[in-house]
Amino acid sequence: MHFIPPVSKNRIISKFPKCYNPQACLQMKEDWNEKAKSACLDRAARQHGMDRLKMSKAVVVGDLNVGKTCLINRFCKDAFDRDYKATIGVDFEIERFELSGLPYSLQIWDTAGQEKFKCIASAYYRGAQVIITVFDMADIKTLEHTRQWLVEALRENEPNACFIFLVGTKRDLLSAEECQRTERDAVKIASEMNAEFWSVSSKTGQNVQEFFFRVAALSFEDAILQEIELSSSSAVRIGDGEILKVDAGDQQDRAARKPSCC
Amino acid sequence: VEGREEGSGVPAFEKDPLELTVEDVYDISYVIGKDLLKVSRVGAEVSDLQFKIVRVLEMFEIMVNRYNLSLEELRMERDNWKEELGRVVAEGSNGNIIGPDKLVIDLKDPNRPRFTMQELKEVLQERNQLKAQLLLAQEELQLYKSGVMPQPQQNMENPPSDPPLTTEESIEHKDEKTTIQKL
Ligand SMILES: Nc1nc2c(ncn2[C@@H]2O[C@H](COP(=O)(O)OP(=O)(O)OP(=O)(O)O)[C@@H](O)[C@H]2O)c(=O)[nH]1
Ligand SMILES: [Mg+2]
Repeated sequence: MHFIPPVSKNRIISKFPKCYNPQACLQMKEDWNEKAKSACLDRAARQHGMDRLKMSKAVVVGDLNVGKTCLINRFCKDAFDRDYKATIGVDFEIERFELSGLPYSLQIWDTAGQEKFKCIASAYYRGAQVIITVFDMADIKTLEHTRQWLVEALRENEPNACFIFLVGTKRDLLSAEECQRTERDAVKIASEMNAEFWSVSSKTGQNVQEFFFRVAALSFEDAILQEIELSSSSAVRIGDGEILKVDAGDQQDRAARKPSCC
Repeated sequence: VEGREEGSGVPAFEKDPLELTVEDVYDISYVIGKDLLKVSRVGAEVSDLQFKIVRVLEMFEIMVNRYNLSLEELRMERDNWKEELGRVVAEGSNGNIIGPDKLVIDLKDPNRPRFTMQELKEVLQERNQLKAQLLLAQEELQLYKSGVMPQPQQNMENPPSDPPLTTEESIEHKDEKTTIQKL
């Protein structure tokens, strides 16, 4: 039995987080998926899965100076720096959550927007469950560039394997009308990219935690559902006697994670 | 011009032909014209010669003028090139492009580029590994403090690897020490 350090109180997500704008939203439902919910309950009751801490990977991409690092720092450290310090290559943070009573971690990879670091940063796109494309709401051309950033991030990942988010930062710099106009443009691009749109300010903190909770909830639920699917398909195969007999629960779980196609 | 000396005393006659200006040509024409007047009474041949001399002097004027203009153009062009050269040299010493895909590095510049991309990659990897270890250590510390864990315990979590493993991969490896140690 492994122990897991307690998750800080403000990282406990009990209600299913809502999207920002229903017009550019990945999932409209109000509550957790039923299957996932019961799987979580079951797991939490049995303390099963506590030794296998779930971890997903999110990569944050976008032009230089759009505010990627600030977005992450606001959420992970509740800090904001007015001075621009370019990210060198890549950096990461790990945030631990508790969702539906289960522990969950998110690796958040902060990549450099500067062209000269692209070859380094792009090596970290691989294996992402979440792609967060960021633009500066006060600099409209950075919105245009998000398409290209997404193409590059998707190139390193399985098609349809990633949740995609489009995040506009620095909304504190815009008037209400400007904000509305930019959001309208962004929603259009988000739906083209199959992304969920969020509009945030790292300076004031507006929508930042809501956004990351949404990222955590969607990726967590997806991980649980994938696991259910894999274990049910391998259960059939165990019945068929096609795989080695397993006795330890741990080993069984590992077998279950093997892709069902082979 | 009354004050001028006559004959070869005219300074224009003594000058280097390449330094003549149109004004010098006018001085020469003036002197020759005065001399011609002295012999103009003699006959038709003389006036014919006069005419030819005037024509040659006109041609001379045009040539000197043209020569000086081209000289001026050449000087301007030369100055432009000088400027351009200075600019390129200055850029070069700042470590900028001096040819396609080439760089000049000033070895005395403390801010000169010194590391290759590969070195930067390695430093970043090492930094990421250390950071992951630090996060793990912090969590373990938190556990001791809260009294949840009685003994040192390894591997609460799979640290990010470089480039990181997917969730599946890291879970597969959970029996090994840590991803970092493995690398
Ligand atoms: N007003 C305002 N300024 C912001 C906000 N977010 C970021 N900034 C400023 O924008 C600048 C760039 O922020 P960073 O987060 O460093 O940008 P980045 O996208 O990480 O840049 P690279 O690391 O070079 O890719 C900094 O000067 C921040 O202070 C915001 O929400 N509001
Ligand atoms: Mg940055």
